[in-house]
Amino acid sequence: MTNAIVRLEPACLDPALELDQLLRTVAGAGAIVSFVGLARALGKNGLPVERLVLEHHPQRTLHSLQTIAQDGADRFAVSHVRVVHRCGEVAPHAPIVFVAAASIHRREAFQAADYLMDRLKTDAEFWKREDHSDGSTWIEPTETDYADRNRWG
Amino acid sequence: MKIHFYGRLADSFGPDIDFSIAESCSVDDLRMRLAAEHPDAASLLGPPVRACVGDMMVAGDYVVNPNDSVEFLPPVSGG
Repeated sequence: MTNAIVRLEPACLDPALELDQLLRTVAGAGAIVSFVGLARALGKNGLPVERLVLEHHPQRTLHSLQTIAQDGADRFAVSHVRVVHRCGEVAPHAPIVFVAAASIHRREAFQAADYLMDRLKTDAEFWKREDHSDGSTWIEPTETDYADRNRWG
Repeated sequence: MKIHFYGRLADSFGPDIDFSIAESCSVDDLRMRLAAEHPDAASLLGPPVRACVGDMMVAGDYVVNPNDSVEFLPPVSGG
């Protein structure tokens, strides 16, 4: 039975705190793999980003994160999974997502974290918008994002 | 009825609108009525856009009532 913690954070995401909390709960694990995604300072069009806006659905977005986390927990021999995702306005360089997986041996934790991020990049129910000084751009998954997800079958 | 639009749809329709229908109709019919009132944004309401009622995705033949709340969701961006 995998311990899965999934949260949507409207204001602040502290990756160090998330990792510290996970470390305190993983007795018996031999490995933790964590990933932190940051808001890029330059947008897809090469222009500086003033803010990234992650619009979310009040019920469906968290449910999509929970589904992805559970799929990762079911697929790999991991004891703990933690997925924390920002919503709302995110400043450049600020953390957007924290993903971590713990397991007895490192391989499963690496694979689970990789899988969780590939799924999140395409299946998490957000609508992302980059705000620039002269307008806004809605962001959609790239062909590479879909290919990364599809390699898991 | 209350209609909420997410993502790029809100840029064209506004995030929330009150839309009057005299009697029940299908979601597909609702899309056509919205497109008729917003011809510049009509192409945004095509099949990739999903309709949601009570947090459940519904098909085009789902019947909505005048007092329902309906959400239209464009394809997600991912995280």
